[in-house]
Amino acid sequence: MKPARQGVEEKSRGRILPREQGAASLDLVIGVMAFLAALALGGVLIANRSAASWQAGLTGRLTVQVLPQGDAPAQTEVNAALRVLQTTPGIVYAGALSDAENLALVEPWLGRDASVTALPFPRLIDVQLAPGATPDIGGLERRLKDAAPHAVLDDHRRWIGRLRATADTIVLSALAILGLIALGTAATVAFATRAGLATHREIVELLHLMGAQDRFIARAFEWHYFLAALIAAACGAALAVAAFVAAGSLDQFGLAGVSFLPPLGLPLRELAWLAAIPAAAALIAWATARTSVIAALHEFY
Amino acid sequence: MVRFENVGMRYGAGPEVLRDVSFALESGSFTFLTGPSGAGKSTLLRLVYLAETPSRGLISLFGRDLAILKRTDLPPLRRRIGVVFQEFRLLDHLSAFDNVALPLRLAGRRPSDYSHDVDELMSWVGLGEKLHNRPPTLSGGEQQRVAIARAVVAKPDLLLADEPTGNVDPDMGERLIRLFVELNRFGTTVMIATHDRALIESTRAREMRLVDGRLVEMRSAL
Repeated sequence: MKPARQGVEEKSRGRILPREQGAASLDLVIGVMAFLAALALGGVLIANRSAASWQAGLTGRLTVQVLPQGDAPAQTEVNAALRVLQTTPGIVYAGALSDAENLALVEPWLGRDASVTALPFPRLIDVQLAPGATPDIGGLERRLKDAAPHAVLDDHRRWIGRLRATADTIVLSALAILGLIALGTAATVAFATRAGLATHREIVELLHLMGAQDRFIARAFEWHYFLAALIAAACGAALAVAAFVAAGSLDQFGLAGVSFLPPLGLPLRELAWLAAIPAAAALIAWATARTSVIAALHEFY
Repeated sequence: MVRFENVGMRYGAGPEVLRDVSFALESGSFTFLTGPSGAGKSTLLRLVYLAETPSRGLISLFGRDLAILKRTDLPPLRRRIGVVFQEFRLLDHLSAFDNVALPLRLAGRRPSDYSHDVDELMSWVGLGEKLHNRPPTLSGGEQQRVAIARAVVAKPDLLLADEPTGNVDPDMGERLIRLFVELNRFGTTVMIATHDRALIESTRAREMRLVDGRLVEMRSAL
């Protein structure tokens, strides 16, 4: 029985529509769109991850600056500030940064040479809070001022707020780009579907006269574009994955990026999100082709 | 089955191709449509297989008035009609088998259900060895036989054929007309547009003659 069955399948696998000539250009457009969409989605993931990591690094910590008077901050004020901090409930650690640590902080912006080391830097005190501790920042600020008049307390709220706002802007912009790319893909597929209908008009008319339902004719088009978009977008997304992997490996080749920017690579679990791009492209192509064909059939017949 | 009442047809602002055509095809009847070239035979067939709507007059098909049918009502009616087009209208990218099987695919049947029927019919029309050939590799006569097999494979209620034996030799023409007669015997209403007098005389069927868009002569079945 099996050979007979195979023979049946072999005889009846003809596609209702022939493969389109010139379809490569549509595949190329969808591939490029998918590549750009994957880059935008990667940007969203990087921005979100960076903002979360910065926020986690700063939450639960305070910084006290003792500003210089003349050439350098007074060590007595630094010690007084440390005493206040170390006796405040909820603070588990307070320690002044060394000169070397100070220089390391400004190095990405100013470099390291004699003129930089001669600058009058404030002394920084790193403060760590106990998990869940919510010290009275206003009271602490007043007690610090009393003990060390040139001390300034920074609870990072402003910095975290700006980071969050920047990350949100990046995410919203990337989502807008993704939306535009989806729209562009839909418009391209709609145009291609119309062109395909015009190319295959005789076949479509014949099917129509033989009693094909609109959805039968639409199915021939929608699966064609579904598969084409899936394959083309998978290629585009794969290219983007390669780009992120390469960006993540730069430091291995001594080509580390700018140190104050987040790493541009994506870990495996985030790379997996890029698989959504071909799936979305295929669905957009499928839905667009279906609606375009049905609308055109209503218009023509 | 089919009823025309004072049907007129013109394309755009051109002259009337059909004028005041009235006739009825009873269920199970066999009718030839004859007349000189340009008399309107193809247009009349196009009206019956729902490729055109008349400029005036009433057409009813399978007991339903076409003027009041919705668009979604038409595909099921069309699937009850088999058509042999004068220019065959085969799909060049499909094999002869797939072309013949097309009406069955449209009806939602599975290849495993219809494969045997299609094979048998292809053998009957002398194309059993050419199942996998595509139409461009077939002769004109072979393409015509594929077109005929496609029209009859679903055992339609109404079969319309436009010059169905124009490209085949007399022996094959006779074989094909036997196929139509056989279908008719099992209840299919048949209407064939042709110039072939030998074909007409061979069946003693009813004849309707069109001249300048008017039905001028009707011969009852002998």
